[in-house]
Amino acid sequence: MSEAGNSISLRADKLTKRFGGFYALKDFDMDVAKGDIHAVIGPNGAGKTTFFNLVTGMLPADSGRITFEDEAIDDPRPSRRTMRGIARTFQNIRLFGQMTVLENVMLGRHCRAYLSLWKALRNTVLHRPLGEAEEEREMRGHALEILDFLGLSDERHAKATDLSHGKQRKLELARALATDPRLLLLDEPAAGMNPHETEELDDVICSVRDRGITIILVEHDMNLVMGISDRVTVLNFGTKIAEGAPKEIQDDPTVIEAYLGEDVSL
Amino acid sequence: MIYQQLINGLMLGASYSLVAIGYTLIFGVLGLLYFAHGEVFMVGAFVGLYLVIHAGANIYMALLGATIATACLGVFAVFAAVRPVSKDYPLAPLISTIGLTIVLQNIATYIFGGQTVAFPETIESILFHFGPVTISSVQIFTLAVAIVLMVLLWLFIENTKMGRAIRATAENHETAALLGVNVNRVVLVTFILASAIAGIAGVLDGVKNSAISPFMGLQVAIKGLVVMLLGGLGNVRGAMVAGILLGMIEILTAAYLGSSMRDFFTFAILILILLYRPTGLFGTRTIEER
Amino acid sequence: MLDGLLDGYTRSILIFTGIHIIAAYSFYVPFKTGQVSLGQAGFMAVGAYAAGILTVKFGLPFPVGLLVGGLVTAVIGVCVGFPALRIKGIYLLLLTLAFAEIVQVVILTWEYTGGAQGFQGIPFNKYTLEYVYVIVVLLIIFFARLERSSLGRAMDSIHEDEAAAEVMGIDVVRVKLLAFGLGAFIAGLAGVLFAHHTTYVDQVSFSILLGIEILMFAVVGGCTTYWGPAVGAAVLTLLPELLRTLRDFLELVPLSWTDFFPMNRIYDFMYEFLDFENEKRLIVYGVILILMMIVRPQGLITRDTLRPLQFLQQRTGHV
Repeated sequence: MSEAGNSISLRADKLTKRFGGFYALKDFDMDVAKGDIHAVIGPNGAGKTTFFNLVTGMLPADSGRITFEDEAIDDPRPSRRTMRGIARTFQNIRLFGQMTVLENVMLGRHCRAYLSLWKALRNTVLHRPLGEAEEEREMRGHALEILDFLGLSDERHAKATDLSHGKQRKLELARALATDPRLLLLDEPAAGMNPHETEELDDVICSVRDRGITIILVEHDMNLVMGISDRVTVLNFGTKIAEGAPKEIQDDPTVIEAYLGEDVSL
Repeated sequence: MIYQQLINGLMLGASYSLVAIGYTLIFGVLGLLYFAHGEVFMVGAFVGLYLVIHAGANIYMALLGATIATACLGVFAVFAAVRPVSKDYPLAPLISTIGLTIVLQNIATYIFGGQTVAFPETIESILFHFGPVTISSVQIFTLAVAIVLMVLLWLFIENTKMGRAIRATAENHETAALLGVNVNRVVLVTFILASAIAGIAGVLDGVKNSAISPFMGLQVAIKGLVVMLLGGLGNVRGAMVAGILLGMIEILTAAYLGSSMRDFFTFAILILILLYRPTGLFGTRTIEER
Repeated sequence: MLDGLLDGYTRSILIFTGIHIIAAYSFYVPFKTGQVSLGQAGFMAVGAYAAGILTVKFGLPFPVGLLVGGLVTAVIGVCVGFPALRIKGIYLLLLTLAFAEIVQVVILTWEYTGGAQGFQGIPFNKYTLEYVYVIVVLLIIFFARLERSSLGRAMDSIHEDEAAAEVMGIDVVRVKLLAFGLGAFIAGLAGVLFAHHTTYVDQVSFSILLGIEILMFAVVGGCTTYWGPAVGAAVLTLLPELLRTLRDFLELVPLSWTDFFPMNRIYDFMYEFLDFENEKRLIVYGVILILMMIVRPQGLITRDTLRPLQFLQQRTGHV
């Protein structure tokens, strides 16, 4: 566990989301400590992805509060939350398929490079009629660095859709990292990866954490979860049924019960 | 006065309904804005005219001929401009049907000239007086045909196997295909139906207004679009009611606020519906991001 | 400048081609963020009338009209673009169509600018051809820069997946509004140039047909790269002119080639057929449109078409 464990990165307070009469998430409380890898697990449909959608603003919460680094998140727009330092990846990969790998990552950098639209218009298009704006060069440098870090730099000119599944997942991570997050939400990053790639991912997630980025991880691969998480929260039917260190969770009878019938070994 | 206007609105609305039904069927089944639909209406009117003038047909024969001709046109449209165009590019079928629009309009102009042509009297005009309201036999005839058509179509869609297949496809393409619906055939039948109805509406329009022009299609096409949206995309019953409603609104605004306000009202309503009730006046279904 | 080189007819054709290219670009900008507009003709009308009022009623010089006309249209564009943010796809198509129709009604009823009689006596601008092509070149440079810039990528990302773009920190609302306003501005310029070339405009000049045509230019040319709209507009505008001259080409065929049995009949048939009056020409135009969409639904120019040219760009130092 990290030394900054006493200060809170993200706090969810009685978070509730309903779809019709169905509670996807109900009175959900959670504290994520700064610098932790905090896993959220639970059977399918337990509300994990809904939680991510509420935190990033892709869905409005019906009630409850989200606090990020001691300040309430009020602006509903996802882009504003990204600017505040919350980034995410998607369970169903949502890369920009028509763009190259490099362009995808540079896109993630856009919100940091240009604080206003006018600046973007002026600097890239009007300001210097020939050659490249300073920001573009910086963005490219930064993006290449991230691609290097994730071992994708050889494919930087490939179209995003031409990558293998595992590499697309990595690219999602790269794109999220490019937004310079302090909190990173990973939605099933190992889904569809082969064992070797998963192992690699293990290292990558740890080294991202070592860069000082707090991570919330939704994942079905229990080996990965139990191996790298500092804390684990278990959701079932939209409510929290357990929380604790991986070891405690593995021995918790309620958790084992929730998973009965599911093909997952804890 | 107002009753007379309402009757006029009903007449106008009935032809809007007939066109919009076709639009909404095609949109429901294919997700395609079938731009040439107004021209099918125009072709129906001209085939009717041709049969009356050159073949000495009576109105029934003219209607039948126009139905057959436009049904064939529907088949032709499917094979020439819809099926060969890839659905991966959503705007491509739109452009190809616009191409078809241009072709049809200019064939009509080529054959009949670019002017408005008089449609001969095919029904003896008798005026009936009901209190303050005057209705002509022509109006009664066109309205009756329109209503019979709509009822028949309704029965077809509700009660036949093909009708159910059309509804299923309109609801969801993939699911319908999985359930064993032959989507290609459904599309073909839908085009035939929609085109035939538009063709009949064209002849009725000619009979009613006693004049037709090769350029009548565009206006009808645009009004048909508005009605389709008012009724809810893919909603046949909605299109029927919304057409009559729009006809009434147009006639009333034209009568009481001046004819230049007519289109203004129509499109202002369209904008309001788009922004606040995109499922249409009666729509319960939402078709997102079509 | 080019007076001596071109006859009036050619000049006019070139001007309309250029105006169509500008109009096609006005469709392209909002389309880059996934917004399909049928209302660009309406924006052209706004520009034409706004500038016309300045030059006719206030006697201001043309460049002022051009600039102010464009800016007024941009403001109207943002006003239309704002409600347009809420809707997509066919709904947006219909919304912009409704906007164009309402512009028509306003033109028809506004007596100040001539109402149904049309707006007459707009001063003729001698240098329209030069203005048009300077603007076309500026636009091409602008879009070339945009395509390789972060802002252009932001627009593309919204087109592909709006929600994902928003999560990546792209302010989707502002980028879409900017694109819509910019599209309106460009359409406004096209309208001003058009009005000061024809010197007379009415509601027919900017009918919904023009809006459909503009959409056609862009889609036929291809909207994945900035060359598409220009090529589409040029091809579709020049195509009817080309058809007109086909018969002249036929006459160039030597007599000895066709002066025997099957060929003379074929020649006569072709000669007869290529006598392109207006309608016949448009029929062929329609058929070509359908064929183009069957053969190249993605448009004439795509990124893959341009790939062979990419070494040029790579040499200029872009990694």
